[in-house]
Order: sequence, then C-alpha cells, then structure tokens
Amino acid sequence: MKEQVHKPASRFRVGTILLVVFTVPVALGVRAFDLHVSDRDFLQEQGNARAMRTIPVVAHRGMIVDRHGEPLAVSTPVDSIWAQPQEFSVTPQQLAGLSKLLDIPKHKVSQLINEKKQQNKEFVYLKRRINPALAQKVMELGIPGIASLREYRRYYPTGEVSAHVVGFTNVDDIGQEGIELAREQWLKGTDGSQLVMRDRLGRVVKHIDLIKSPKPGNDLVLSLDRRLQYLTYRELKRAVFQHKAKSGSAVILDVQTGEVLAMVNQPSFNPNNRHQFKGYRYRNRVVTDTFEPGSTVKPFTIVAALETGRFKPHTVIDTTPGFMKVGTNVVRDIRNYGRIDLSSIIQKSSNVGASKIALAIDPKKLFDIHERIGFGDLTQSHFPGEATGALHHPRIWRDIERATLSYGYGLSVTTLQLARAYLVLASDGYIKPVSFELQTSTVKGEQVIPAKYTHQVRKMLQAVVEDGGTATKAQVPGYRVAGKTGTVKKVGPNGYTDDKYVSTFVGIAPADNPRLVMAITIHEPRGEHYYGGEVAAPVFGAVMAGALRLLDIPPDVLPANTLNLAHVGGQQ
Amino acid sequence: MSPVITSYMHNAFKQTARSGPSVMTADYWLLGSSLALLIIGLIMVGSASVSIAESKLGEPFYFLWRQLLFTGIGLLTAFIVIRIPMTFWQEIGPALVIISLLLLVMVFVPGLGKEVNGSTRWIVMGSFNLQASEFVKLFMVLYLAGYLVRHNEAVRQSAGGFLRPLALLMVVMLLLLLEPDFGAAAVLICTAMAMIWLAGVRISQFLLLIIVVSIALALLVYSSEYRMQRLTAFLNPWADPFNSGFQLTQALIAFGRGEWLGVGLGGSVQKLFYLPEAHTDFLFAVMAEELGLLGVLLVIGLFTILIYRAIKIGRNAENRERPFSGYVAYGLGIWIGLQAFINIGVNMGVLPTKGLTLPFMSYGGSSILVMCIVIAMLVRIDYETRKEDRVVQRKGDKVW
Repeated sequence: MKEQVHKPASRFRVGTILLVVFTVPVALGVRAFDLHVSDRDFLQEQGNARAMRTIPVVAHRGMIVDRHGEPLAVSTPVDSIWAQPQEFSVTPQQLAGLSKLLDIPKHKVSQLINEKKQQNKEFVYLKRRINPALAQKVMELGIPGIASLREYRRYYPTGEVSAHVVGFTNVDDIGQEGIELAREQWLKGTDGSQLVMRDRLGRVVKHIDLIKSPKPGNDLVLSLDRRLQYLTYRELKRAVFQHKAKSGSAVILDVQTGEVLAMVNQPSFNPNNRHQFKGYRYRNRVVTDTFEPGSTVKPFTIVAALETGRFKPHTVIDTTPGFMKVGTNVVRDIRNYGRIDLSSIIQKSSNVGASKIALAIDPKKLFDIHERIGFGDLTQSHFPGEATGALHHPRIWRDIERATLSYGYGLSVTTLQLARAYLVLASDGYIKPVSFELQTSTVKGEQVIPAKYTHQVRKMLQAVVEDGGTATKAQVPGYRVAGKTGTVKKVGPNGYTDDKYVSTFVGIAPADNPRLVMAITIHEPRGEHYYGGEVAAPVFGAVMAGALRLLDIPPDVLPANTLNLAHVGGQQ
Repeated sequence: MSPVITSYMHNAFKQTARSGPSVMTADYWLLGSSLALLIIGLIMVGSASVSIAESKLGEPFYFLWRQLLFTGIGLLTAFIVIRIPMTFWQEIGPALVIISLLLLVMVFVPGLGKEVNGSTRWIVMGSFNLQASEFVKLFMVLYLAGYLVRHNEAVRQSAGGFLRPLALLMVVMLLLLLEPDFGAAAVLICTAMAMIWLAGVRISQFLLLIIVVSIALALLVYSSEYRMQRLTAFLNPWADPFNSGFQLTQALIAFGRGEWLGVGLGGSVQKLFYLPEAHTDFLFAVMAEELGLLGVLLVIGLFTILIYRAIKIGRNAENRERPFSGYVAYGLGIWIGLQAFINIGVNMGVLPTKGLTLPFMSYGGSSILVMCIVIAMLVRIDYETRKEDRVVQRKGDKVW
C-alpha cells in the first residue's frame, strides 16, 4: 500500500468541505433563532389554535335541604360521553367495547357518528349522564375523538316522599316543577369557562387558565321536616290504599310561621325515574287542585255569626226536623238534631243549623269572612301552578246560595288554602303567608278575625274531635286537638254525583296552644266509608300522634285524665 | 493542527499501555460530543415517546427501554470494532458491496422484508427490525474509500476512474429508491461525491458531475408524485396545514413554543399525537420545544464538533500515509454531517420532508448500532495514526 507516496487532499479541497461543515450549522442556528424567537408569536398562535380550547366548567346546582339540613335534592357528578365525528376512528375491538359499555348497538354508534360527520358537525353526544366509573372505562378504550364531559345530575334521596314539593329538573338540569322550578334562579349554577390544552385525541392534558370561575348554585333550606314528611306520606298512602281512593293530599303548617312542615300527595312518583313523569303523578294536588270545601267552612260561618254580635256560642238554633226548604231546594242533616247551640252545630256538622245562621246574617258578611281567610286568593307560597280557587260574589244573593255557602258549596278551595284558613283560627285570627322556606323568626301576619272569636270557635272544634263529635278518630292520646270534617259530593257532568265524594279533615294541635295545622283531602274513596271523619280524620290522628312528639310539644292531657275522659265518653 | 492539543495527546498517550486503544488515548472531543448526543438522544426518545407508547402499548417507557438496549448492544459492538485494524475493512471492501446488495434485496423478499408507512426498508430479525440502508451507507463508505486508494491516480486523472465506482453506487441507489428511501440515496450520493472531491478529482469533471447528479435528483423528485407533494408542502406548509403540511407545521409550532429555554423536559404538547414520528424523524422538533433554542444550538454545536473532529482525524491519517483511514474518516464525518443537518433542516422546514433519522438521537436500533460502529472506527483510525506518530517521532522525523 505504501509503495507509492500518497498525496493528501489539498488544503483547498479540505477547506471547501470545512467551509460547508461550519456554514451549514450557522445557517441552521439562524433558522432556529428565527423559529424560536422571531416567528414564535405566529407559531404559538397556530399551535394554540389547534391545541387550546375553551371548555365549560360545569357549576353544580344548589342543594335543597329540609329544615334540619337533611338533603332533599343533591347534584351528583355524572359524565356524558361525546364524540368529535371528524376525529373519530376505531378498531373493531374498540367499537365492540364502546357499544357494550354504552349499551348502544354497534351499527347505531357508527351511523350516528357518520351522519354528523357528513354534516360537518364537531360534537355529538353518544350517551349522557352515565356513572363516572363507566365513563372512565369508556375513556380507557383510548378511542380517538371520544371524550367525556363532566355534568351534574339531580338526585332526590327522599324519592317519592317529597317529590311533589321539591319537583325535578330536566336533562339540562333546569327546574321543571315544584321548588326546583320556583327557585330556579337561586338554585342554578352559572357555568364557568376554562382554557385547556388538549392532545390530538381531544383529551385535556393541561389546564391553562380559568377564564370564568363557575358559580355553583345556592343551597336552599326548605321549611319541610323530613321526619314529618315521611310520617305524613306513610299515613296518607295507607288511607288512600285502605279506602281505595283515587287520590289524596295532606299538608301540615306551622302555626307560628306559616311554614309548610309537610306536604304530600297520592299518587306520587319517583323523581329519580323519568319514566314516571306523568302529569297525574307529579301534580302537587295540595296547591293545584280545587274542590268544594263542604262542612270544613262551617267554623267560618260561625265566626261571621259571632262577629255580628247577635250570636253567642250558646245561642240555640232549632234544626228540627233535620231538613229545611230553601226556595225549591231542601237542605238536609243526617238526622234530626233538634234544638242545638252553635257548638253543637259544629260538633254534629248540622247543615240546617249553618243555613239558618247564614240566612239570618248579611250575605256580604259570609263572603267577606271567606275573603279574609284567603279563599279565592293565592297563599303567597309562590309555588308553581298554584290555584286560587273560586269565590263568587253575586250581585243578588239568592237564599239557596247563602245557605249552601254556609256549609261549603258554591266555592272552591285548595287543600293548602283550607289549611291556611284554619291557621287563622289557630293563630288567634292572624292570616299568614304560606312559606316553603325556613323562617328564622315567627311571622306575625295580619289580624283578620278578633282573637275572641277564634278562641270560641276553637273550643267548638275541640268538641268535634271529642266523643260525640264527627271526628273521634282524629283524637291524639295525650293532647287536646281540634278540627272539622267535611264530606262533599263531587260535581260530575250531570251535577252532583251520588257516589263520588271528597273526604276532608282539617285539624289544629294542640287545641289550647296551637302549633300545627293539618289539612287532609281524600278524593273518591271507594271503600266502605266515605265520611271525612272515617277516611281523613284517622290520618290526622296518626300523624299528629307522631308529629307532636317529634316536635317535642308537651302533652296537655295527663294520661290519667285521658283515661278518665275516655271512660266518661264511653258512658255517654 | 493545534499543537497544544496534539502535544497534550502525545503526552497522554505515552502514559498509557501500548497494546491497544484505550479511552486515555482517544480524541476527547469526538468521544465527548458523540456521548453527549447519545445521552441527549436517550432522554429525548424517552420524553417524546411517553404518550404514544402509553397509548399504543400501555407501557410509557417501551421505546426508552428498547433504545437503551440498542445502545448497550451498540457500545458492545463498538468495543469489538475498536480492536479491528483498519486494514481489515480495506481488504473486505468488495465483500461489503456484495453484503450491501444482498441486504437491499432481502428487504424485498416476502417474509423477510417489512413495510412501514409504505416504505420497505426493514428486514425482520425476531423482535427487531434491521434497517438495511443504515448498514449499506457504512459499507459503501468503506468500499469507496478502498477504491479511492486503489485507483487514486485514475480518479485524479480520468473521468472513467471515478465513474466506475459511481456506476456501482447507482445500482445501490436504485435499490434504495425502490424501497423507497430517497433520503438514504441522497445522503449516499452526496457523501460519495464529497469523498471523490477530497480524493482529488478534476474540478471541471467534478462540476459536470454535480450538474448531472443535480438533474438526476431533480428528475427523481419530479417523477414521483409523492415526492413532489412533499416538496410543495415544504415550500408552503401553511397553504394546507391540516393535510400535506400537517407534519411540518406541527414541527414548526414546536420550535415556536420552545422559545429560548424550552417548555421544560416532558412539557411538549406537540408530541401528544400532534407531531407524527415524534420519537424518530421529528425528535429534534420535540427537543426544540422542550429544551428551546439553547438545546437546539447545543445539539447543532455537538454535531459540528463531531464532524470537524472526524475530518481532522481523516486529515491526520492522510498526512501520515494512511489514505484508506483518511478517506473512511472523511466519509463517515461527511455522512453523519449530511444526515444530521438534513434531518435538522427538515425539522426546521428548510428542506423537504424525508425519512431520515437523526444520528445518535432518533429512536431506532440499526441507526444507534451503526453510529456506535462509526465512532469506534473513528477512534480506531485516530489510535492507529497516533501509534504511527509515536513511531515516527521516535525516529525523530517531523510530520507537520
């Protein structure tokens, strides 16, 4: 190899190579500087346009709790699976997994996405509101173009028990019924937005900036007492079932504040199951359904009479022979009560007695008392769909109208209005707005009846519950309670029917120092009984027995006395 | 060329054993820069491939572990190669041509060859794929160096002298283009031309050759629709940034996001499926995003040092009557330089996209293995030259 001396490459030739070796890196360095520094605004803008997205930060809806903080409606996190049709691509195994997890047939998934792809859409929901754990599994399939979105779903822990009051939201979490609708603005959260960086498969890899913080909805404390709610629900359901009734409603009001402590209806629905959302199920009948109140308004006829000064509680009215002709109509009692005082008219629920009083006083007085106790008017509860009922004020009062009005026909009220009217009797004549939300102090209200008369009428109502009255089944051991029954024929297509009744009972407990007012309405009982005293009054007795103890209201009748009274009653 | 370094190395050499090359006697600049590139490469392969490995294989460090394994195999191979005298390579030159042709043909044998992304460049070897072109480039440099030594006078005197090896090279290039691997073919022809230039071909003939090769390459580009498409995409990637310009614009965005010091190791967004081939051909862009201009200049600088040292080793060898070693060192240095700078240029959008790996850094077993062999050969050449130097010095001759 070394026979011949090798002539190395000339300096010029090596120099040209070295020139290239040194200039190229310099040129590359300049280019790098350009890209890294000079063009970076443009390049970063381009990069951000591809990777940065503003996505909503879902704010959860406020919680609804009862007066003791027990949850009635809570928002639980759920995930919705959506697809970017343009980015979507799957292997057959991934598609099978997706179809199985989401429980959507494979061809449906492909069809849905392809349709949207052809329409150049960038977003399509595959399945909304699924368990986050399931969504996690879907995301683990790692399918490009599939993403999950955090949302919140309303959950109602008390289910059908407080469903009518609390109401429900729709799939977009907007209130549709009940308190959820009434307090939508207060409860709803305001979604925020955030800037995120996404990888090419659409998954969020980095939170860049919170553009707008989400504002969660406000919590709402209702006046409901979950314990009373359960108790009332149970007893009402039992009564409706036992008497094969079509429907039923019950409400308990707090006398001091006008708060709704319990409000239930039958039939009810499970707000967690949207298949049950039918009008007849989710209507809050306590506030939406009106009916003729019947005998339950008799105490107010008495109040009107007492207010004239011409009647006293012991004023005697002759109801003989148990019926009376008014024009061409006949007003009847169940039997002939003979000469009885005002107390007995209430206790026996004498239509003849009430009619005679009504015909003896100015008809305007009767109308006036109904107006004062809130009939024909909203209860100020602001509950969605609340009915006002009907209260007529004819220019010329016919006698039959005056007579029937005295025992509760010719006007219509809601169960809530009825309870509120009795609250006036219970609170020494003060009318109060009905409230579904917790009140921090007692509500005074406006006096519409002098206290003297309410005391007198309450005494009479006490007698209704005592032995000899129409509502002995409303008795509560250990407590003196007051109340009034009502049994009304329903109006059918051809006037009053003979087989469809509304059985009601409105009670006050305890009678001497009233704390609770409860109204029960049971529509169309089809069992053996249909009288309010048989159908509705037992609900009051059962609920109050529990409620008074739950609320720590001291008994006002010693056990010995109770026994004694019962004994005496038995002898009569 | 630098007396200070040379004398320092002589002193260092005297202190070490005489039996064979050791680290003490080596070119520190060469070893240091290549080792630094290897380490930065490993880190970047790990970082760039985390997401894709996690998503496709469920093991985030799959590519990193494999690359570490390749590096280990490469270093072991390097220790063997370092002990092989350069005369061995000179002697087996013609055999290497045959092996090269065989490798390139094997790629097309069904069951042996493997196609990835429309290119048949790999030979299946168990769980590894051997990229034929990496070895072919090395073998062809060795062959051409031998030829230039054997026919030095002919190369310098007549056109036929340098056209004959080029004809053989054309066959190899044709096979590479069939894969297709335009990048490897271009690197190969350019390396060969630089070697012929250094061997002393006449300037007039060389200029003519440049014109012919340029026309041939241009025709190749125009003849293929996909190469043409890549070319136009390269000229204005922003014209169609979501289709043909997608890869390039994503790479450029990576640079823009990197700024001066980068977004930090592991912070790249572009590697999150935006940038295809993030751990192979476009590793440099991911590095530019994570390590910024500083990292980019560092790597370009390391490559420059490495290439310069290779050429200097070649120069020293040539000066000491070791022309084969000299041409090999020139060839290896120019090849690495071309491939590195073309890859970096592609990443920066100054050259059209081609499937070229970044030496020492991109993911790929064949590339890492061949690069380890390349460094081992350069160290060997350096060692042999120094040994000669020492002998010469003892005789009291002056070389420089």
